[in-house]
Amino acid sequence: MKTLTQLAGLLAATTALTAPTLAETAPEKAAVISTYADIAEATYSDSLYAAKNLQSAVAALVADPSAEALQAAKAAWLAARVPYQQSEVFRFGNAIVDDWEGKVNAWPLDEGLIDYVDASYGGATDENAAAVLNVVANPTFQLGGTDVDATTITPALLEETLQEADGVEANVATGYHAIEFLLWGQDLNGHDAGSGNRPWTDYAKGDDCTNGNCDRRGAYLQAATDLLVSDLDWMAAQWGADGEARAAISGDEIAGLSAMLTGMGSLSYGEQAGERMRLGLMLNDPEEEHDCFSDNTHNSHYYDGLGVQNVYLGEYVRIDGTVVSGPSLADLVAAKDPALDAQMQGKLSNTMMALGRIKSAAEAGFAYDQMLEQGNAAGEALVMGGVNGLIDQTRTIERIVTELGLSSVAFEGSDSLDNPGAVFE
Amino acid sequence: MKKLCTLFLALILPVSASADTALVDRVISNHVIPRFQTLARTTAQLAETAAQTCDLDNGQVISDYHAAFDAWVGVSHLRFGPTEVDDRAFALAFWPDPRSKTPKALYKMISEEDPVIQLPANYSQASIAVRGFYAMEYLLFDAPTRELGHGEYQCALFQAMTQDTAAISQDILDDWQPDYAALMLSAGQNERYQTEKEAVQEFFKAALTGFQFTKDTRIARPLGTFDKPRPNRAEARRSGRSLRNVVLATEASLDLARRLGRGDETIQSRFDRLEHVFTTAVAKLESPVFADVMDPQSRVKVEVVQQSVDRLLEYTLGGLGPYLGVAEGFNALDGD
Repeated sequence: MKTLTQLAGLLAATTALTAPTLAETAPEKAAVISTYADIAEATYSDSLYAAKNLQSAVAALVADPSAEALQAAKAAWLAARVPYQQSEVFRFGNAIVDDWEGKVNAWPLDEGLIDYVDASYGGATDENAAAVLNVVANPTFQLGGTDVDATTITPALLEETLQEADGVEANVATGYHAIEFLLWGQDLNGHDAGSGNRPWTDYAKGDDCTNGNCDRRGAYLQAATDLLVSDLDWMAAQWGADGEARAAISGDEIAGLSAMLTGMGSLSYGEQAGERMRLGLMLNDPEEEHDCFSDNTHNSHYYDGLGVQNVYLGEYVRIDGTVVSGPSLADLVAAKDPALDAQMQGKLSNTMMALGRIKSAAEAGFAYDQMLEQGNAAGEALVMGGVNGLIDQTRTIERIVTELGLSSVAFEGSDSLDNPGAVFE
Repeated sequence: MKKLCTLFLALILPVSASADTALVDRVISNHVIPRFQTLARTTAQLAETAAQTCDLDNGQVISDYHAAFDAWVGVSHLRFGPTEVDDRAFALAFWPDPRSKTPKALYKMISEEDPVIQLPANYSQASIAVRGFYAMEYLLFDAPTRELGHGEYQCALFQAMTQDTAAISQDILDDWQPDYAALMLSAGQNERYQTEKEAVQEFFKAALTGFQFTKDTRIARPLGTFDKPRPNRAEARRSGRSLRNVVLATEASLDLARRLGRGDETIQSRFDRLEHVFTTAVAKLESPVFADVMDPQSRVKVEVVQQSVDRLLEYTLGGLGPYLGVAEGFNALDGD
């Protein structure tokens, strides 16, 4: 009896394998886009939930400073990065995310804007006159020729006055990395293992306070964390049932699918493989680590990669372990070209394997800083494994763009082309 | 030698090459190879001159430097395949440098007289911030850098830089012919280029990326914003090459785009008109280093140059792309 059942199962499986065109029915494009929006909503909602935990931990640290409280806040920050990094794949394709993203995750930063730094950091640069402004130590100062009263540190001060002050992108006053710097401090270990080593007494009260202005430092940390929570709250709502981000991709199926693939390809290639991974390696510069203060870069890269895979497979594992899933790009591609789908899934797996190697080596003690060191062949091979995987998967993403017919850009006549003199008028 | 290579390429071409593969063949033979040959020749010449004199103000050194930099800008849009092996193109041209890595790293290197320059094998592992044309520019044209350390070290460093640049340039050329050319000509029969169209798309993307980099980086960086122009961010301003690079880069991408348009009359006449707009706009600029951006009235002229490059980009994307039947795809500028 059992043997018969097994045989029947085997036969069924064989039939399914040999008749892919029958087995694979293309999902509705609208359903695929809807899954994408559901994953975005869940990812940002999880990011919000985790940021609220961070907010509580920061409040506890400021109210009752201790080594344990600082450690708890650091742990909450690390946990908050897990869902947020998976949301980065929603950048580049969605204007609503792109216009907002710099507030929460801008990087790299001239951290001397915010708080004290080591002498080796240097002073103001050609590019940034405010590189060592140190808002924590200075209740009033001049910024781009204007007097600023920062006696009270508020979310509005950070967001409206300090963020990208003087038009300089490295003036990052808000978001995860500003908070990261306030929790860990500068990483002064160069290419050696180890993260920033800020003492908990930087938040201590009265005479126990180290490095001065502990109350202002605490106020800055709380303002930045409050702002992070309100920014994430806003973004999660944009992906809700009536949210603008969801509406923007739901109206036009071609635009929706294009946004999905544009985000996957742009994050994989230009942003992650290029700007974040390969450049740091070629500069041999530990400051080029993405999460440089906390030494969490291996996780930052890993969860970015996972986000790309989530979008393709139409599946996201939430921070409470539940799964959000639905009709996916993978289903759509498989229905048109099963070999192309297999190629994409294989390449995404290769990338996750390569990023997983960086993560496991880092967690075992081979820090990302060390991997970037000049002449460190093993580190270079690990990082380049991730870079190559990301570049390779981008080529297949391009093939999918072509296969799904998303590439035809209608060329509309314009004054400048039909009448070249127009540009001078 | 050249004839031999051509013969070799002819042999590996399938008898009935498709129109796409024939197009790729012409682009490689008439655009890619001559330009990388020029880069290899001029960088070798610069290394030879640098080996003969420690006078970094020597007229021959300066003119050889400009010739080699010109050659680089003429291939700077061809960022795929052989230029992306190891860190080759990045080591030739690390720019933009928003965090001033090059002056910082050079300061450290020269002050400490870092012995890494003694052996080419070691120097080739050094940070890309201290290699290539943009690092050389500091040694040749930046007064504070020239005052650092000892003259002998500066001389040895410049020699190391020029040798490294020549070696990389030769490596790129050697990889192109015959191997990478053969790979592109066998598109549809290899994993990298899975259809013949993918090889055409590679060149199409290169032309686009070239225009985009010129518009969004070479011109946009010094433009900054109306309230905050950034003339100090102009590319290669110390050597007075900012505008020259914009012109050479645009001409290089345009040459490629025209070749991709084959003999199509509509496309060629559009490119003719757009090129005229560009050259007319460039002729109105007074400063070779975009100092014009500071003055609201002359700033507009820089913006017009930027718009004229944008129109080339736009037409390549919307006019040439559909003609070739290929998509924009992704490039290294997609991040932020």
